[in-house]
Amino acid sequence: MTTEMTAQKDVVEIDLDDSDEVRLIESGKNPTRYARGWHCLGLAKTFRDGKPHSIEVFGTKIVVWADTTGKLNALDAYCRHMGGDLSQGLVKGDEISCPFHDWRWGGDGKCKAVPYAQRVPMRARTARWETMEQNDLFFIWNDPQGNPPPADITIPEIPGYGTDQWSEWTWNTFVVEGSNCREIVDNVVDMAHFFYVHYQMPQFFKNIFEGHVAAQHMRSTGREDIKTGVQFDLPDSETISDAAYYGPSFMLDTVYTVAGDTTVETKLVNCHYPISPDSFVLQFGTSVKTVDGVTPEKAAEMAALFTEGVETQFKQDVAIWKHKTRIENPLLTAEDGPVYQLRRWYEQFYVDVEDITEDMVARFEFEVDTTKALESWAVEVQENMEKAAAAAE
Amino acid sequence: MQPIDCHECGTAVLVEKFSVPHTSIQWLGDSTSACPRIAQANANGEGGLCGTTGLSCSSLRDTIDEAVRQGRIEIDGRMEPVIGQLG
Repeated sequence: MTTEMTAQKDVVEIDLDDSDEVRLIESGKNPTRYARGWHCLGLAKTFRDGKPHSIEVFGTKIVVWADTTGKLNALDAYCRHMGGDLSQGLVKGDEISCPFHDWRWGGDGKCKAVPYAQRVPMRARTARWETMEQNDLFFIWNDPQGNPPPADITIPEIPGYGTDQWSEWTWNTFVVEGSNCREIVDNVVDMAHFFYVHYQMPQFFKNIFEGHVAAQHMRSTGREDIKTGVQFDLPDSETISDAAYYGPSFMLDTVYTVAGDTTVETKLVNCHYPISPDSFVLQFGTSVKTVDGVTPEKAAEMAALFTEGVETQFKQDVAIWKHKTRIENPLLTAEDGPVYQLRRWYEQFYVDVEDITEDMVARFEFEVDTTKALESWAVEVQENMEKAAAAAE
Repeated sequence: MQPIDCHECGTAVLVEKFSVPHTSIQWLGDSTSACPRIAQANANGEGGLCGTTGLSCSSLRDTIDEAVRQGRIEIDGRMEPVIGQLG
C-alpha cells in the first residue's frame, strides 16, 4: 500500500503564479449505492407505540414495528404478494399484517400466515434489515452485499446511559433535499466553517481516521460577537469536543463546556440516513450529564438550550448545502482540513468489503494550524463588536 | 509526505508539515501492533477515546519536532492531490 502514499509523482505543486487559468469544478456524480454500516433511524421508544412505522431509506421504503417482546423489526415495506405497503398495515401479535390481503410477515422476513389460504406459498421471504438498539437509539444495518454486521463494527455504549445520570435525548429531525449525505460528513474536517457557519472559534483542531472511525478533536471558544446556546450562556466558556463517526453515518460527540469551576458534559449525536442519492434525513440529539451538582431538571433544561444552539447551527449547514454544488476537487489552503483523506476513508463504505484498500483504513492524523485563522478572526470579532456598540448608541 | 522512524520504537510513518503547528501523519500499517504506546493505551482501556486511541503518540511527536528543528523534515506548501490517486 505504501507506493501510493510515498510516490510524489501523484501530486502537483500548486502554482501561485499561474493566474490565467480558470479553476474548474469537477462536480462528479452522487453514488448510486448506499453506504455499508449501521444507520440510526431515531429514538427506539418512538417505534414502540404498537403501530407500524414507514421509513423511506436506501432508495426504498421499510416498515418498522415492535413485536410482543418489544423487539424492533425492519422489513422491506412492499408485500411480496401483490406489492401492498406493510407500513400502512397493522401489527398483529408478533407480525406485521398487509392492509391489502392480511398476509402476516415476521421479523425474520418469513411469511407466517395467509389467513384465507390453505398454506403459505414457497419462497415467501422478504428483505429484512438487522436491527440493534444502543443508548436508547434504534439502528439498522445496511450492506449492499447482504453480509451480517461484523461484531467489531458497532456503536459504542455511553457509560451510565439509561440511568438518571443522563437526561433523556432531545431529538430533532430534518429532511435535507437536493444534497447527497457526503456533504455532512465533509464537516468532520472543516475547521474554518465552525467560525463562519457555527459561530465557534476553533483553537485546536485535529482529525484522526482509523478503521471505520473518523474523529475530530476540537477545542474552541464561542464568538464574542455572536452567541449561541451551545455555550450555555456561560461566560468565557471553552468547549472541549471529541467527536467521531462510527461508520458512515453516526457521529457521537462528547462535549465538555468549561467555564471557571463549572464543567458540563454533554453527549451530542449527529446522524443521518439516506432517502435517495440526493436527499437524506438529518437527526441530532443531546443528553446532559446530571452528576456533579447538576439536577435532572437542570440537565434537561440545559439539554434544551444546547439543542436550540445546535439546531441553529444545523440549519445554517442546511442553508449552505441547499445552494452549494457537489465538488470532487476542493481547492485547499494549508489551513484547511484533510478533505481528500476524509473522502478516502469514507469510500470504504461504498465499495465491496473485499475491495477496501489499506489506505482507506490505515491510521491518519492531521492537526490543523489555527494560528492565522485566530489572528484574523479576533480582528473581525472586535470590529463587529465595535460596530454593534456604535449602532447601539 | 516524508518518511520518519520514531526514535523510541522505530515505527516508520510518513509525515508532512505545512507549518510548525501543522502536522500530518500517515501510518503504514496497524498502529496498535506498530506502536507500543498505542498498544499500551489500548491494553489499559485508555484507547477508547473515539476509538482513535487518544490524540497521538508523544514519542512520535517528539521525533517529528526534533526532525523539524534539525531540518530533516522540510516545512512545505500543501500539495494538491490528483483525483483518483488520493481521492
